[in-house]
Amino acid sequence: MAIGALEGIRVIELGQMVSAPYCAKLFADFGADVVKVEPPRGDVARQWGPFPDDQADAEKSGLFLFLNTSKRSVTLDLDTDAGRDCFRKLIVDCDALIENYLPRQMRAWGLTYESLAAINPNLVMISITPFGQNGPYSQWNAYDLNAYHLTGASSRYCGRPGEAPLEHGTFSADFFGASAAASWGLAAIYGRDTAGGGQHIDVSCAEAIAATFVGGQNIGAVAQSGKFDKRTGVGMSLGAPATILPCKDGHVWILCLETAQWNGLAKSMGDPEWMQLEIFQDMFSRAQNADAMYPLIEQWTMEHGKMEIMERCQANGVPVSAVFTVGEAAEHDHLKARGYIIEQQHPVAGTIRNLGAPFRLPACPGGPRSPAPLLGQHNDEVYTTLGKSLQ
Amino acid sequence: MAKNLPLKGIRVANFGWVWAGPVTGQTLAFLGAEVFKIESRARIDLTRTLPPFGDGIPGPDRSLSNHACWAGNGSVTLNLKKAEAQQLARDLVARCDVVVENFGPGVMEQLGCGYESLRAVKPDIVMFSMPAAGLDGPLKGVRTYGLSLTSLTGLDSLTGYTDGPPVPVENAYSDPYNGILGAFPIIAALRHRDRSGEGQHIDYSQQEAIMHMVGPAFMDYAMNGRNAQPKSNGHPLGAAAPHGVFPCAGDDRWISIAVLTDDEWSHLKRAMGDPAWAARPEYAKAGGRVAATAEIHEQLAAWTAQYDDRGLTQLLQGAGVAAAPVLNVGDLLDDPHYKARGTYIEVTHPLGFRETIYGAYVKTSRTQAAVEPGPVMGRDNERVFKEILGLDADRYDALVAAEIIY
Repeated sequence: MAIGALEGIRVIELGQMVSAPYCAKLFADFGADVVKVEPPRGDVARQWGPFPDDQADAEKSGLFLFLNTSKRSVTLDLDTDAGRDCFRKLIVDCDALIENYLPRQMRAWGLTYESLAAINPNLVMISITPFGQNGPYSQWNAYDLNAYHLTGASSRYCGRPGEAPLEHGTFSADFFGASAAASWGLAAIYGRDTAGGGQHIDVSCAEAIAATFVGGQNIGAVAQSGKFDKRTGVGMSLGAPATILPCKDGHVWILCLETAQWNGLAKSMGDPEWMQLEIFQDMFSRAQNADAMYPLIEQWTMEHGKMEIMERCQANGVPVSAVFTVGEAAEHDHLKARGYIIEQQHPVAGTIRNLGAPFRLPACPGGPRSPAPLLGQHNDEVYTTLGKSLQ
Repeated sequence: MAKNLPLKGIRVANFGWVWAGPVTGQTLAFLGAEVFKIESRARIDLTRTLPPFGDGIPGPDRSLSNHACWAGNGSVTLNLKKAEAQQLARDLVARCDVVVENFGPGVMEQLGCGYESLRAVKPDIVMFSMPAAGLDGPLKGVRTYGLSLTSLTGLDSLTGYTDGPPVPVENAYSDPYNGILGAFPIIAALRHRDRSGEGQHIDYSQQEAIMHMVGPAFMDYAMNGRNAQPKSNGHPLGAAAPHGVFPCAGDDRWISIAVLTDDEWSHLKRAMGDPAWAARPEYAKAGGRVAATAEIHEQLAAWTAQYDDRGLTQLLQGAGVAAAPVLNVGDLLDDPHYKARGTYIEVTHPLGFRETIYGAYVKTSRTQAAVEPGPVMGRDNERVFKEILGLDADRYDALVAAEIIY
């Protein structure tokens, strides 16, 4: 059997909820040995569900079962001297620590990068927090929501004018920060000899988004002219059609910018006469006349189902897609054919469906190797090994 | 021991275009790799034509947004419609460790640079492909833009106001997200190559990577058959309240407030001066607050509206409540936090104008990434064709004249 790409890398995770656990999951699913250090009551994600039939059970939280595949779990009370001593022993010969506590909490425990690097100079410490280790807001209490809305992303890109700016409805900042942490953290481990030792990787979820997503497209303009845009509630305001419209059984993303695409859309719609009008012949002019155009397209979409619209448009070369519900995405033939939806046997939760690897490395496949661990499931083996290695 | 960036010595040929692929190259470059983006004047990348331009003068080497998103990538110009250019591209790949591309499936084959062709010239090459929905399966040819790709994951169905339709995100969150995460499997594959001698072709489905963001809602579907709906800025699992964005004094000013624990609720009540409406005993526990989310949010909004966003943030943070201003794009450059972290950096472009881009969006303690301005088209032609591929000056000039190096 092929070994995982990251086999042999030893990771300690000190994570709660989403960001550090997701980052560590990527390592674990691709072969690293990840030991998740949980407080005696467990990662908060265990308490938050979703749960089967909404019956709370720390071993059946969907959030936890998704984010903690392929890991081992030990419990440790870091509020005690003995607990912190034990934690330092775990750190002595690991390659990486992935953590997402607020900086003030790590300081209170005496578990700063400086103190841990003193006992393991090769340590790559990956810290993922809303605002990072330095800068005035690093002192703040904050969660995913606060990080996302500090980036300009919501004000600029999501919501109707005059109404509240929106996040996506998931932990968008945590996932973004975790992904950046995974790439930068793995580079620091892979290139440790080149770099001359371990180091501290400081990820601010807010900064990663404010830089790459929002800054990438906007910051040069603001710096040069002081001008900036805000959300419009429409998918794209400069070109059209480019937005989400209702249809018979849900919603579709109508995107049609190039001329060939517009002709393909016309064909999909049965070549209505209005689409030949001069004002609708390029995407800018269509955008200027969007108020007249969208209702005409909507008349058509409301008569058809989303899958039919997508199929017809795609066949005519138009990048229109159905807005899948979560269930429609989960049950789609494409993801089934690719084996993306997997089943796992969990000792308490039973048979659970889960998401597979987000990318494929055919020579060293990844993806969940074992279900998320029970709380403290590996206390005996981890602490016994630790005790022996210290003798 | 020398302090080098961790990927020093890794060389990358980046066929990526528009946004996601170039960000993968940029990430590898921030980490120390030498990255050559392959592009051509025969088909100038759309993003090079997007205004605004440096000093307001239009030109493919002056798009400010392009520069921020591509900085770190070098640039090599090759007109890949021509067979000789394809050969030169393969010659370059033979001297690279990694190939990055984000075309649809099959395009690299049409350019004479499919995995089999590249493996023939570099057996242990790590090739990274990131099509919308992966390299195989019924939807492999699906046409999407980054804007709409998320609709295939369920993510768009979660975004919007409570009880309302999905509201579109007006730019491609998935592009930088996948661009950055793409470096992870590439480095993993490099590690595998170093240990086994084996290269591989990575199949990175942007759909599947983004669908991990939907993981929490997917589990609710898998366990309970429920399809999550938009819930404004409410807690994604419906496990906490108040949790949202609330109006402040001024035009389009807002504050985000997230109360995740019962202690934080006590802190918030105290900060508000213990108003009568907040004293209801059922609000003391998360379950009671979640059940009364609408009422609590309405009361809270009436209170926050009296304050300026930054002043109220100070007040709430002082009380231990997780709160932060909701920034507009216009706030970013002068924000004290981003200033302190050096998130945005002004550089001088080789054409003489100043431009503001972002630097290393992750901070590293041992080795700091070098930040370069956006790449001028063909910036690295001499380095690649003369130094790395060893072409003599006459041959190089002839290829330029024939618009093969173009």
